[in-house]
Amino acid sequence: MKRRDFQQEIKELNLAFLMLAQQMLNDDRESAMLRLGINDEVADLVESLSGPRLVRMASNQMLLPSFRFDDANLLGLMAGEGRDPVSATLHAAILAAGKSSKE
Amino acid sequence: MKNKSVLEEAEDIRRAVEMVSLGARMQMLEAETKLSRERLLRIYKEVRGMSPPKGMLPFSTDWFMAWQPNVHASLFMAYYSHFAGRPGLTSLESIIKAYNLYLDNIESGSMEPVLSITRAWTLVRFFDADLLQLAGCQTCGGRFVAHAYDPVQDYVCGLCNMPSRAGKGKRHRAAVRKARKAIA
Repeated sequence: MKRRDFQQEIKELNLAFLMLAQQMLNDDRESAMLRLGINDEVADLVESLSGPRLVRMASNQMLLPSFRFDDANLLGLMAGEGRDPVSATLHAAILAAGKSSKE
Repeated sequence: MKNKSVLEEAEDIRRAVEMVSLGARMQMLEAETKLSRERLLRIYKEVRGMSPPKGMLPFSTDWFMAWQPNVHASLFMAYYSHFAGRPGLTSLESIIKAYNLYLDNIESGSMEPVLSITRAWTLVRFFDADLLQLAGCQTCGGRFVAHAYDPVQDYVCGLCNMPSRAGKGKRHRAAVRKARKAIA
């Protein structure tokens, strides 16, 4: 059986992620930092990346975006588990925003 | 107070327009800009196409304690506290950024915004005046709006311990039905 290495997919996702992050940071730096879950240092780095450097960074075999919240309870709420999906979503949003600003 | 600089006045007008389009009431505009009442009235009419509502702003902290407003206010405060401590951001900018994030979140869940920008602004003023505090829930660890000086050692939030009638309103039910359909 042929081994799938997902390299192309990872590269595409990384590139899309980095470009989105750059756009978000240019648009509204503070909100983008909260949504992306990154600190000032990383934000500066991502913002300053030139096109070729961005592509180079994206070609890494590791996926750059990762699961942010190391909390199965919170991720479950985000997926709408709970008494009803609407309040679960709100609950997840409150917890996520709280965690994100503590990071 | 009159503006001396034209640039400052232009900045004030831009801010006022932004606040009005988010739904701010006159009291908030008057407190946050140095523009005259007449100018603010004209901005309001041009942006919204109608006269601003009259009367006083709600001044009680109790509104934020009912189940649904509390959840929405806590969400807003979660965003706001991220911006509040940051250098280079005024309180008003933080409120507007946090309110936009709050609206994004509400819209993505196809809910109706319960907290208006004016309420959000009042909420921040209540926090500044030490009338409200954020209490950490013992079960989920989230931080929720509560009266200042209330004991909060064993605070449990309204989402971990939902009152039986909470979220049973007509509008909420419609949103739930929609969300269930989307999941299924």
